[in-house]
Amino acid sequence: MPAIKIDQDKIKEAVQTIVDLGGDGIRNCVQCGACSAVCPGVKAGFPVLCRLLIRKILNGQLEETIEEVSTWGCQSCNRCTEVCPQGVRPQEVVFAYRRYQAGELAMSASAFGPQMSLYETGHAVTTDATAANREKVGLNPVPPTALQNKAAQKEIQTLLDESPMADLGIF
Amino acid sequence: MVKVGVYVCHCGTNIAGVVDVEAVRAFAETLPGVALARRSLFMCSDTGQEMIKQDIRDGLVDRVVVAACTPRTHEPIFRAACEAAGLNKYLFEMANIRDQDSWVHGQDHAGATEKAKKIVSSAVAKATHLKPLEDKFVDVEPTALVIGGGVGGIFSALELGGMGYKTYLVEKQPSIGGVMAQLDKTFPTNDCSACILTPVMVDAGNHPNIELLTYSEVESVDGYIGNFTVKVRRKQTYIDWNKCTGCGACAEACPAKVPDEFNCGLNERGAAYIHFPQAVPKKAVIDMEHCINCAGRKIGTEPKISKKTGKPMLAPCEKACPADAINRSLPLNPEGELIELKIGTIVVATGYKVMGKESFKEYAPQSPNVITALQLERIISATGPTGGKLLRPSDQVKPKTLTFVSCVGSRDERYHTYCSRVCCMYMIKQARLLKEKYPDLNINMHFIDVRCAGKDYDEYYVGARKMGINIFKGKVGGVEMLPDDKLRVLAYDMESGTPMEYESDLVVLATAIESNEDARKVAQVTGLQFCGAHFFRELHPKLGPVETSVEGLFVAGCCQGPKDIPDTVSQAKGAAAAAAVPLAQGKVKIEPIISEVHPEKCSGCGICVPLCPYDAITLKPYGDRPRAQIDITQCHGCGVCTAACPSGAIVLHGYTEDQIFSQIAALTA
Ligand SMILES: Cc1cc2nc3c(=O)[nH]c(=O)nc-3n(C[C@H](O)[C@H](O)[C@H](O)COP(=O)(O)OP(=O)(O)OC[C@H]3O[C@@H](n4cnc5c(N)ncnc54)[C@H](O)[C@@H]3O)c2cc1C
Ligand code: SF4
Ligand code: SF4
Ligand code: SF4
Ligand code: SF4
Repeated sequence: MPAIKIDQDKIKEAVQTIVDLGGDGIRNCVQCGACSAVCPGVKAGFPVLCRLLIRKILNGQLEETIEEVSTWGCQSCNRCTEVCPQGVRPQEVVFAYRRYQAGELAMSASAFGPQMSLYETGHAVTTDATAANREKVGLNPVPPTALQNKAAQKEIQTLLDESPMADLGIF
Repeated sequence: MVKVGVYVCHCGTNIAGVVDVEAVRAFAETLPGVALARRSLFMCSDTGQEMIKQDIRDGLVDRVVVAACTPRTHEPIFRAACEAAGLNKYLFEMANIRDQDSWVHGQDHAGATEKAKKIVSSAVAKATHLKPLEDKFVDVEPTALVIGGGVGGIFSALELGGMGYKTYLVEKQPSIGGVMAQLDKTFPTNDCSACILTPVMVDAGNHPNIELLTYSEVESVDGYIGNFTVKVRRKQTYIDWNKCTGCGACAEACPAKVPDEFNCGLNERGAAYIHFPQAVPKKAVIDMEHCINCAGRKIGTEPKISKKTGKPMLAPCEKACPADAINRSLPLNPEGELIELKIGTIVVATGYKVMGKESFKEYAPQSPNVITALQLERIISATGPTGGKLLRPSDQVKPKTLTFVSCVGSRDERYHTYCSRVCCMYMIKQARLLKEKYPDLNINMHFIDVRCAGKDYDEYYVGARKMGINIFKGKVGGVEMLPDDKLRVLAYDMESGTPMEYESDLVVLATAIESNEDARKVAQVTGLQFCGAHFFRELHPKLGPVETSVEGLFVAGCCQGPKDIPDTVSQAKGAAAAAAVPLAQGKVKIEPIISEVHPEKCSGCGICVPLCPYDAITLKPYGDRPRAQIDITQCHGCGVCTAACPSGAIVLHGYTEDQIFSQIAALTA
C-alpha cells in the first residue's frame, strides 16, 4: 500500500466535496469508532463504513477510495447517527460519498439494475417469487402499487428525469 | 489644564506585530490635553513603569493613559505605579489595543492602526475628565465558612482552622467525607481511601477551631466580603445527637427499607440509619420521608398502651436505643433549626455527582449487570454490600468477563462535551485491583483514547497493559441483554478497523461527572456563576483559579470542574489560603468606582431599587420624602441604576456623564 502524502489542498477539496453533497457533520468526527461498532454493514464485511470512510475522506483520499464498495453496504439504519457522540450523522456522510461515487459513475454493478427497474416499473426490486406467492393466496400477481399504475410510473419517471440522476445517463 | 501622558505598548509582537505603534504614539501627541506620548516594548516591565513614574515625578504629566493589553490583568499594576509616584491612582486610564484590536484584526494592519488611534483618543478624552477618588475600608469578621464536606471542603476547613480562624463546615449529609468516602482504593498509589480519609475526617471533627454543621444546608448569604450574614438550616435528625453514641442499634432494629445511597442503591438501609461505618460525626438520623411510623408512633404522639402487657408500645428504633436518644413523643419541628452566622469569607466545595445509567438506552440500563463505575467502587470496597467480593448484581455470582465502557456521557455533545478527567484513571485502577485479586478474570477496557496525564499516571496505565488487561481503542457502540443474565458488547477495534462482538457478565459504565442538583440553589444564595458546563465559574481560568466574581467567595474541588483527589486537595488548600488573606488583614478595601445618589436630585421614584442586581439600593427618608440610597459595601459599580435613573440623580464614580460623553465625542470626531 503506498504511503499517504498529507496534501492540504486535497484534504480541503475532499471535505468540501462531501460537505457540499450533504455530509456536513464530517468535520466534527473525533474518530471514536462508536458508529462502526454498531454498523451492520461493517459487521457484514464492508469495513470502509462510517468511521473508516470518514478517516479516508479526512485524509484527502477521495479519488483513491472511489472504487470502494463498502459504501453500498450501508443499510440506512441510522444506528451510527444514534450513537455518534459528536453529531456527525455518519449515515449522511456515507450517502454524500455515494452521491460522489454515483456522479463519477463509480457505482457498484448491483446498483445499476435496480435504478433502471425503478425508472421503468416504479419499483427498484421486484421478484418472481412475490408474484407466485400472491397468486397462491388468490391475489393479483402484480401488487396494486406503481407497478399497476401507469400514471404513478410516469410521475416517478418525471421526478427522476428532473433529478441529478438523469445526468448519469442510466435510464 | 491637565497634562495627559500617553504610553503605547508594543506588548512584544502582540500589538506591534499588527498595529503601527509609532503612528499611534505620534497621533496621541496631537490630541488635546496630551503633554507627551511615549512607547515601550513592554510597558508593564520595570523600565516601562519607571518611565511613567519619572514623568509624574518630573511634573510632566498628571493623568496617565496606557494603551496596552487589558485592564483585567494590568490595570492594578499601572495604578500602583501612579500611586508610587504620588499621583492619585484613579487618574489612570487604560486603552485596550490588544484584546479589542490587534488580536481581533490580525489580518488588517492599517485598519487596526486606525482603530488603535480611536481607542487611544477616547481614553485620552476620558482621562482629561478624571477626578481623584479615595479607597474605602471596612472591618472583617475573622470567621470562615466552608460549604460542602467532601475531601475538598475538609482540607479547606483544616487549613483555615489551622491558621487560627474559627471555621464552620456545612455538609448536607449526616457525615462529612463526600465521594472519596465511597471509594475503595485510590490511584495512582492504590492506598485505601478510607485509611487515608478517615483520620483527616476525625481531625476535622475534633479540631478546636472547626465546627461541623452536618445534615445542614445554607439557606441564605447576605452581605459582602468580610461581613457576610449566613443562615444555615440544621435539618431535623429526629434523634438527639447529644445523646446518640453511634452504636447503630436503631438502624439494625428499623424494618423500613430504602435504597442505600452510600452504596449507590446496591442494597437497602433502614429509615433510621448511620451514613456509613466510619461516619464523622458518627450519629444516626431518621429519614422521616421513609419512616413507616411503626406501632403508630407518629412524631409528637403519645404511645398506645398494649392491651396484653399494659405497657406503652414503642417503635423498634426507640426501644433499641440504649442511650435514650430517640423519643418519638417529642413534638420535633420538621423544619429543624435555623442558625445565623457572621462570616468573613466563604469557600464553596460542594463537589459533584456521577450520572446514572438510565440516560444511556444503548447500553441496556435495564440490566442489573450494567452498573456505574461508582457502583463497582462500592462492590469492590470492603465496607460495601458484598464485603468487597466481586459478585454480579443479578445472581451474586462471580463474573468471568468484565467490560469497561469509557466516556459515557462525557465528550459527547448529547450530554456533556467536556472530559470528566478522572474516569480513564479510575477504570484502570479498578481493572488493576480486580486483576490482582482475580488473575483469571477477563477484563476488556474500551476507550476513545486513554487520558492519563499526571505524575506517575502513564506508568500506571502501561502497568495495566503489562498485567494482561485488554485495552482497546474505540468507543463501545452498544450493549444488548441476552438470556442467562449475559450481555453482548458491540465494540470496535480502531487499530485493526474491525468490529468486535462478545459476551460479558458484567459491564461497567464510566458515567460522566456533573454538577449536582443543589448547585443551582448554592448559586442562587451565594451569587456564584456557572460556566458553560454548569460548574462554578472561577474568576480567571489561569490566574484566578480559586477566586470568583463574588468578592470573598472562593471555590475548590469538583464543583469548579472535574478533577481528581490530588487536584481537589491542592485547590482546596489554595482556596483556604486565599480566603484567609482578608481575615488576616482584618479589613477589606472597597474600590470607589461605585455609584452614589445625589439626594437633592432624586425624585424617590424607586425605579433603581428593583433593578440593582446586588440589592444595594434602598429608599431612605431624606428631608420630606424618601430618596434612594446606595450601600457602598454592596454596590459593584455595574452602572445599571445610573443608566436607569430618570432624574439623572445617580453618578457612577469613574464613569461620570462628562467622562462618557467626552469619550463618545472623541470616537465620533
Ligand atoms: C468511580 C470514581 C472513582 C474515583 N476514584 C478516584 C481515585 O482513585 N483517585 C482520585 O484521585 N480520584 C478519584 N475519583 C475522583 C474523586 O471522587 C474526586 O476528585 C473527589 O471526590 C472530589 O472531592 P470534592 O470534595 O470536590 O467533592 P465531593 O466528594 O462530591 O464532596 C462534596 C461534598 O459537598 C456536599 N454538598 C453538596 N452540595 C451541598 C450543599 N448544597 N450544602 C452542603 N453540602 C453540600 C456533598 O454532600 C459532599 O459531601 C473518583 C471518582 C469516581 C466517580
Ligand atoms: S446507516 Fe449505514 S453506515 Fe450507519 S450504521 Fe446503518 S448501515 Fe452503517
Ligand atoms: S461515532 Fe461519530 S465521532 Fe465517532 S467515529 Fe463515528 S462519526 Fe466519528
Ligand atoms: S419508627 Fe423507627 S424503626 Fe420504625 S421505620 Fe421509623 S425509624 Fe425505623
Ligand atoms: S451600580 Fe449596580 S450594584 Fe451599584 S447600586 Fe447601581 S445597580 Fe446596584
